[in-house]
Amino acid sequence: MTPTPHHYLYYYLWTAPHVLQAVLVVAMARRGLHRQFPMFFIYTVFEALQCAVLVGVSQFISSFGPVYLQVYAVGLAVSTAIRFGVIHELFSNFFRSYPALQQPGRFLFRGTTILLLLMAVALAVLAPGGNADRIAQATAFSSLQHTILGLDRAVTVLQCGLLLSLFLFSRYFVLEWRSGAFGIALGLGVFASVELATSAMGVYLKQWDRIFDLANMAVYHLCVLLWMFYLMLPERQPQTVIRLPEHDLEVWNQELQRLLQQ
Amino acid sequence: MITTLIIVCLAFLGLFFMVTLSKGRASSSAVLENPAAHIQSVDVEAFRNLVDPREKEFLRSRLRPAEFRRIQRERLRAAAEYVSGAAANAAILMRIAQAARRSPDAATAEAAEKLANDAIHLRRFAFRALAQIYVGIIIPSARISPAGVAEGYEQLTRRVVMLGLQYPTRGVSSAL
Repeated sequence: MTPTPHHYLYYYLWTAPHVLQAVLVVAMARRGLHRQFPMFFIYTVFEALQCAVLVGVSQFISSFGPVYLQVYAVGLAVSTAIRFGVIHELFSNFFRSYPALQQPGRFLFRGTTILLLLMAVALAVLAPGGNADRIAQATAFSSLQHTILGLDRAVTVLQCGLLLSLFLFSRYFVLEWRSGAFGIALGLGVFASVELATSAMGVYLKQWDRIFDLANMAVYHLCVLLWMFYLMLPERQPQTVIRLPEHDLEVWNQELQRLLQQ
Repeated sequence: MITTLIIVCLAFLGLFFMVTLSKGRASSSAVLENPAAHIQSVDVEAFRNLVDPREKEFLRSRLRPAEFRRIQRERLRAAAEYVSGAAANAAILMRIAQAARRSPDAATAEAAEKLANDAIHLRRFAFRALAQIYVGIIIPSARISPAGVAEGYEQLTRRVVMLGLQYPTRGVSSAL
């Protein structure tokens, strides 16, 4: 979890996505997208600021020691809460344009949240990272690390599942995504999936911790680029009309008669 | 270890699905250009006959139990195909409706809105009906009544005709 201070690649993957997020904040504000996706805008601002604070703490206060970890834990908690807000915003935006889906959409969001919450709790209990004996034997510092990791994994299960259910729902009902919303959901979903896989594998492959960290950071970088792509590029003009063939009411009347006779 | 493997598999499955979906977003234009080629013929009457409880009772009274179960399973499998066909058609019509919703013509946009709602309802009914039909295939003597799908489908076809009258959709309704 803790990056090696002198590792340039770490520093690049740590800071570059957040610098890009600062650029994204400006771009979103300029294009008025902060009104369309207010929670995502807050998330982007927060992530950029959190990185600046963490870099400051690591450089001038406590390197990557307990203070850094405490600040990181608080930041992670706030960021997680905002991410839930972003997911809720995606659900709301999505179902607003389909009145017939508002009720099942609400049911889906609540039902999936409860189901995934139960699943996340079960996984937290079953997963070795949450082993009580191990936590009892650990120092306060590593205990905090374990708790953060366990909670992070549980939250990732929840977020990944919610986003996946949103994708499945839209797929089943053939719903149309707006470009920005799709980009946000795809970025969050890809990051949550990879983070979930690496955190689960990390429990058994501890020697690969650094590689998993790098993979997570690289994927986050990719997701920020994805958000920039979907939010900064002009929205593709959707196909508005089907090319009209020759208008022949007689043919349509025949069709109507045939349907009525069925 | 098994829990970890399940989590990793689910995570990668989710990732694969999301990436696949992002690739498939552009494919709907082919449907819009030639919807009739994608719509399959679905006979509502035949479906209604397959799920008619009176037909079922008639067969039950005339056939030996083992034969009845075999025939009933076949009938339900056929009914499931009809429902899947209707649901697939609703998916295509949903794409057409979404394109037509952006029409500058208010009447067309309104008809498209109704069509979209009906397509959504049909997909919901089809999901539930398929679940019931599959239960019926496993337990042929169970009572099922997916006739609501037939009604929903008829309503949907009426909407397409309405939409087509204002806004021809290249012979979509003839395929229904």
